[in-house]
Parts: sequence; C-alpha cells; structure tokens
Amino acid sequence: MQADVEQRLVEFIRDKFLAGDPEGELGADTPLLQWGILDSLKVAILLTFIREQLGVIVPFQHLSAKNFGTVGGIAKLVRELGEPAPDYADSVHSLPPA
Amino acid sequence: MTRLHEAVRAAARRHPDRPAVTGPDGSLTYAELDRRADAMAAHLAAAGVRPGDRVLIWAAKSCAVVTAMQAALRAGAVYVPLDSTSPARRAAKVARDCTPRVVCTTPERAREIAPWLDSATVFVNLGEPLPAAVPPPAETGEDDLAFILYTSGSTGDPKGVCLSHANAFAFVRWAIATLAIGPDDRLANHAPFSFDLSVLDLYGALCTGAAVHLVGAELAYAPVQLAEFLRQREISVWYSVPSALMLMLREGGLLDRPAPPSLRAVLFAGEVFPIGALRELAGWTRARLLNLYGPTETNVCTAHEVRAEDLLRDRPVPIGTAASGDTVWTAGPPGEPGELYVRGPSVMRGYWGKEPHRGPYATGDLVTVRDDGAFEYVGRRDAMAKVRGHRVEPGDVEAALHTCPVVAEAAVVVGGEALEARLVAFVVLRPGARTGVLAIKRHCAERLPTYLIPGEVHTVSALPRTGNGKIDRTALAGTLREGSAV
Repeated sequence: MQADVEQRLVEFIRDKFLAGDPEGELGADTPLLQWGILDSLKVAILLTFIREQLGVIVPFQHLSAKNFGTVGGIAKLVRELGEPAPDYADSVHSLPPA
Repeated sequence: MTRLHEAVRAAARRHPDRPAVTGPDGSLTYAELDRRADAMAAHLAAAGVRPGDRVLIWAAKSCAVVTAMQAALRAGAVYVPLDSTSPARRAAKVARDCTPRVVCTTPERAREIAPWLDSATVFVNLGEPLPAAVPPPAETGEDDLAFILYTSGSTGDPKGVCLSHANAFAFVRWAIATLAIGPDDRLANHAPFSFDLSVLDLYGALCTGAAVHLVGAELAYAPVQLAEFLRQREISVWYSVPSALMLMLREGGLLDRPAPPSLRAVLFAGEVFPIGALRELAGWTRARLLNLYGPTETNVCTAHEVRAEDLLRDRPVPIGTAASGDTVWTAGPPGEPGELYVRGPSVMRGYWGKEPHRGPYATGDLVTVRDDGAFEYVGRRDAMAKVRGHRVEPGDVEAALHTCPVVAEAAVVVGGEALEARLVAFVVLRPGARTGVLAIKRHCAERLPTYLIPGEVHTVSALPRTGNGKIDRTALAGTLREGSAV
C-alpha cells in the first residue's frame, strides 16, 4: 500500500499544485514545504484528498513539518494512521500484520 | 507593570501551577515557563547578549520559542520572531538588517543558515535543556524596544517594524479590558509569531494567567483539524484572519455540531470577512464577535463589535472606532473615501535602521466615516495586497523572481478574493530557456516565506504594458478573472 499511496499522492500534487509537472520534477523525496510546493492552504487541500480518497483523517496533533516534508513522509503517516478506504480493501492483505 | 516580561514573573507567583503555553512540544505551567525563561536569559547573557541587542528566533512555533521570547526580554534584548516558513536566505536577509547578537534556532536550521551569516554569529539551540540559573538584572524601560516584526517590503527587502514595551501594552491592555480576559481563559494562537495578531493571544494570556494554545503552520489552514482543535482545547478566545474561520465553516464541519460552550469571543482581523460567512458564524455561536483593524505599524487601532443590525447589511462590517488609546481620523473630504491616519501609544517607534517614526502614521488604507463615527474599509491606495491577512508587496515577490536565471521579466498579481486569494506570477522566460513550475517555485521558496510564494506560475511571451510603459497589472488581473491566463 505504501507505494500505491505514494503514487496517488504524487499524482494529486502534480495535478493540483504543479500544473501537471510536465518536466517530471516531483519525486517521493522532494522537499515539499522547503521548495514551496505545499503551503498551509495546500496542506489543507491535500488533507481533504487524504480523507476523501484515501479514507484517513489525520488528527491535528500529527500536522507537523516533519510529517508533511515529503511525499514519502506523508505516505508513511497515512499508512500508520489508517485503515485503508473501502476501495482499497483488495490491498489490505499486502499490509504487514499489525 | 510596564514591561512585557514582568507579566510571566507576576503570573508565576500568582498561578504557578496553571498552564501557560501548550504547543506541539507539550505544555508549560507558569512556574516552568518562568524557570526556563530565567535559565535561558542567563544563557543568552552568557552568550554576550546585552540590553538593546537583538535576538533572532527562527523556528516552528513551540513552547521553547515562547520561552526564548521571554528570555530575550529578561536579558533586556529585543526579540525578532521570523516566520517559521522563511527559508535560510530570507532569514539571513533579516539577520543582516537587524544584526542579532544571537540566533535561536534548531541545530538543522543553524547549519542551513550559517553559510549566509557572519562567522562570529552565536547560535542557541532552542531544544537544549538548561540548568536553572538567575540572569543578571537588565534595565529595560517601557519605551525600549520589545520586538521587531518583519513584514513584506515593496523592493524585496523585508521591513522591520520596531515596537516598544509601551506600544505592545497599549494594545494588550485594551484587549484584556475589552474582552475581560482572566486566568480561566484559553486563547488560541493562530497567527505566526511574526504577525502582529499573535501579540494579543500571547500577551493577552501571559498578562492574565490564562493559557495560550499554539497553532502551528501546518495546522493553521487544515479545516477539519482546526475545528477539532477549537473543541478539544476548549478555546474561549479565538483570534485569526477570517480565512481560517471561513475554512472551518465551509470545509471543517464547524457548524455541524453545536458551538462549544467554552467559546466566548471570536476576533478577526487582517482582511475583510465576507458578510455571508459572518452571518453563518453569528447564527452558530453566541460568542462575542469583533472585527479588529490595524497594520503591523500600529497593531489594532480600530475595532468594531458585531451587532445584529450589522448582519442585516449586505456589506462587510465596519472596522469601527479607535482602540488601544489611539486617535484615528481621515483627511478626505466629507463623504468621500480618505486615507486613515493613526496617532497614539500603539504606533511603532519606526522601521529598524531608519529614522525614528514621528507624527501620525498614514496607513495607506482608504476608509469612509459613518454618521455614528465608525470607519468602513474601502481599499488600498497602493499596490500592497493581502493574502489571508498577510501583507504582500508584489514587488517583494517580483524581486525574488527577477533573480531567477531563466526569468527575463516577471509580474505578480493577487487573483481571487478571501479563501481563493492567491499570488499569481506571470513570467517571461529568457530566449531558449526551459523550466518547470517547480523550478520557479523552488527558486522563490529559497528566498521567500511560503505566504509570498506564487501559488500559480504562468509563462507568457510578453507582459501587457500601459501607455507609459509600466506593467499593466489591471490587465493581468483581468485575464485571471476571465480565466484566459495563458
């Protein structure tokens, strides 16, 4: 699920915040906050995506620069916090046992 | 009490075990905050900080940052809180302007900024536990500076607004009296410490023995989480830009549940609150609603408490009448919009490195006067814009874009209003240059705090000009409205 979440986050950020990223500049380790890809308002848009599309509500205590610094970091947080959304049921078996 | 740091000492004696600050790094009681501020003040003094020196604080909001602010004041110094999202280069620009004796930050940030600063710069690690110590006494008068708030400057250089203890107290005393803030209150601190709104939350709490709950940059505009924070922390006094409240209303489900009984005052400032959203807020909570107004240079100089009849009008509520002991007036002809002037105890001492400010402060804001004496905000008389309450000089952003090697020319305008407000950059690339949006954003991000980074970047073949050769910003803004930006 990690890679899958990561891919969906990358696609969403490319599409929403980087005009499609035609030069393919965004990766899992790109510093999102440091390079100005995410600001506080865009974090909010991303949280809506995470809630509605990935089925994970991120509690306010987890909103930190550390967790939102890279796509990899966000994907890790989403995985740790979340039960997968219903349309993700198929990939549940690939999660390591809790 | 005439100096800001006396407040915590007094509160620590009266309410040692009450919570003072809660942030992402935990909570401090008044006794703990007092002890830590003393220990850090002694540490700062040992590092060479003398009365009148500047102490730059560059870090995400935390109890440790609040402690550093108090410590700087106890050492007789002037603290300079930087927007935590400011990159090293911007922080260094501020440092070169205010020449701090010490930079309080994290070890990672110290490594990042060190190459940009004088090799003699002393760094103090904000996370380091310090042994208990008593700082040497520092004589500070009420007219000495307490802090410098850096704001966007039209030429690309941030301007340092210098505020004395007396300046801050003029506003803080007014706010405490107006809101009757007491030790049982729980204030939300939404604005960054570099933003003048934060002075109310911090000192409104610290001067009364109340608790202040910090909202970090990542939480500040997350609607669902922010609404949850308001409830869980049982906030009684909320102060933010209207955008944050609107996000909670529209996307955070704030109105889906009854208003928390703890919430007794909601204050907003920094931008216009659209009347429709304000009506929804007023219909949900019985808390007092107040519209505050004032640039960083004066902090709050007018205020208006929202009344039932204000909500019947189809226009924003007035910015109100004089506050903080100030005198405010407009020089325009009767009935016409005129510029708002401010004189009084909350008006800044001046910009850092410039001549002291004297006489009335001209806000650059155009207002009209109502029959009842209250002012209504009309607009700006210059290019300065607001994005979610943050003051934005397009020239500041353009200056950063112009240093980008692939950019031949750039113009920045604000597109949209309220929640949709965003900075839009139009850039003409040098012949043969190729670049992605990310590269340009990254270039800006290395130079500007995030609120100044253009949300949209459009590459164009040429910028529209007015008859006299100036960039035609109205035309650019127009292309955005028509959705025909190329």
